[in-house]
Amino acid sequence: MAREVISTGNELSALGAFDAGCMFFGGYPITPSSEVMHEMSDLLPTVGGKFIQMEDEIAGISVALGASMAGTKSMTATSGPGISLKAEQIGLAFIAEVPLVIVNVMRGGPSTGLPTRVSQADIGQAQYPTHGDYASITLCAGSLEECYTQTVRGFNLAERYMTPVFVLLDETVGHMHGKAVLPDLEEVKAKNVTRKRFDGKPEDYRPYDVPMNTPAVLNPMFEGYRFHFTGLHHGPTGFPTEDAAQCQFNIERLVGKIDAVAADVGLDDEADYEEFMMEDAEVCLIAYGSISRGAKEAVSKLRADGIKAGLFRPIMIWPSPAKKLKEIGQKFDKIFVTELNMGQYLKEIERVTGRSNFTTLHKANGRPIAPLEMVAKVKEMF
Amino acid sequence: MRHTIRFTGVGGQGVLLAGEIMAAAKIKLGGHGLKTATYTSQVRGGATVVDITLDDNEIFYPYANEGEIDFMLSVANVSYQQFKNGVKPGGIIVVEPNLVHPTEEDRQKWIIVEIPIITIAKEEVGNVITQSVVALGITNEFTGVLDPDTLRDVMLSKVPKKVHEVNNKAWALGIQYAKEAKAKIGM
Repeated sequence: MAREVISTGNELSALGAFDAGCMFFGGYPITPSSEVMHEMSDLLPTVGGKFIQMEDEIAGISVALGASMAGTKSMTATSGPGISLKAEQIGLAFIAEVPLVIVNVMRGGPSTGLPTRVSQADIGQAQYPTHGDYASITLCAGSLEECYTQTVRGFNLAERYMTPVFVLLDETVGHMHGKAVLPDLEEVKAKNVTRKRFDGKPEDYRPYDVPMNTPAVLNPMFEGYRFHFTGLHHGPTGFPTEDAAQCQFNIERLVGKIDAVAADVGLDDEADYEEFMMEDAEVCLIAYGSISRGAKEAVSKLRADGIKAGLFRPIMIWPSPAKKLKEIGQKFDKIFVTELNMGQYLKEIERVTGRSNFTTLHKANGRPIAPLEMVAKVKEMF
Repeated sequence: MRHTIRFTGVGGQGVLLAGEIMAAAKIKLGGHGLKTATYTSQVRGGATVVDITLDDNEIFYPYANEGEIDFMLSVANVSYQQFKNGVKPGGIIVVEPNLVHPTEEDRQKWIIVEIPIITIAKEEVGNVITQSVVALGITNEFTGVLDPDTLRDVMLSKVPKKVHEVNNKAWALGIQYAKEAKAKIGM
């Protein structure tokens, strides 16, 4: 049975993690994400899970990674400045293929920026949070429900693809307080993914000896399956190597297990985007996260004024819904892009559509974008 | 039908919780309610604004559209001045007269009602923290958007049992003062 709750996005993200089977949280409080960890500190002890507030952001992700290496579904939550601090360990998670959910409740930046104010300026950071080559999975919640469902999805993708997954909220959805209808708990649990494991003889175990475009198979530590975790390039058992062919294969596999799979069949069966009143639309608005909420209202206002508008809202930000975006680029003459940054996703839209003639509304002052501002800008296109 | 209500104050006055209570009451009555808050990074003393949107249908944009707010209540001058223009012409603004100082121009543009919210909480209820509940009673009496019993029940569910009595008193005083103020302006 669906569950109706009154809550905030941050609390629902924590609940999503809990229902996805997360049993470990390590982190450090930072506005506007702190309520995620507050809630985890309440939830985890009720089922024997572990919560720990560490001395800083780096230690927060380090213990979460350690827990995940031991086989526990694990998460951390922070905001942009915290991601900057965690960057090195995020790299370790990518190359060692350690699943981890990282919730980023976005606020104004760079640096400490605007601590209490809304922003979507970590879109680029989520794609390339650390040095080196890899592919990021990034989900972006646009509603209270999605703070829950996309966090659940984040865990499932992390376990399936053995990779860190970013769940982006922003100050608005994170702190927004209202009604959410959550999916049936048993249905959520039935779909929960747990990482693959090797059940053969310990001496035959080669965790990283997997085909191109497939994730490593990492058994939990301390169960007799010996292997090595390292940030260095590594061979079949995880021990360092500088073998040219192996290193090239490693990176091609790291990128391909996400990008190639996403382009080929999609990473999962969940929706990578939402189309709102798009059937007969003549102008397409593109927005994601909390900004898409104002865009939906703008669509209704525009239609009331006789302009057939529709909204395309990416949910899986990285890898981007490129095929669909390309289709939109071909179908619509008039496209309006609005984001709470200086055009970070616009670059991706330009790349996949091969176009640059978009009408845009970008803000970076920590304030939301009101529907009427969007309406005025869209009307200029006619 | 959409109602947008704005509470403004400074950090620490409890206006955030009052907003949550209104949204929760609307949801309990079968509708939709959203509360958003905007505040500064100061722990105390920074201008705080809480927007409450109540609707029978789903609400997308969670903030009040500037110029469309039906009712505002303000207990701090800094936030009153900063956020008053969100109220539609002819809208009602309840202010704490000891702390908020509307201009003559403001009095032409909006219906400004003076109720000493903080003094009531401090001296008549006996606990300054109850100012948000006094404000809740005033707001609902003026706007009439929510069933008062439901709103009061939701309010009580958010506070510990041992302070129910004092909060009930704050609630009743809010309504009483609002009724008197309404009578004075012929509402």
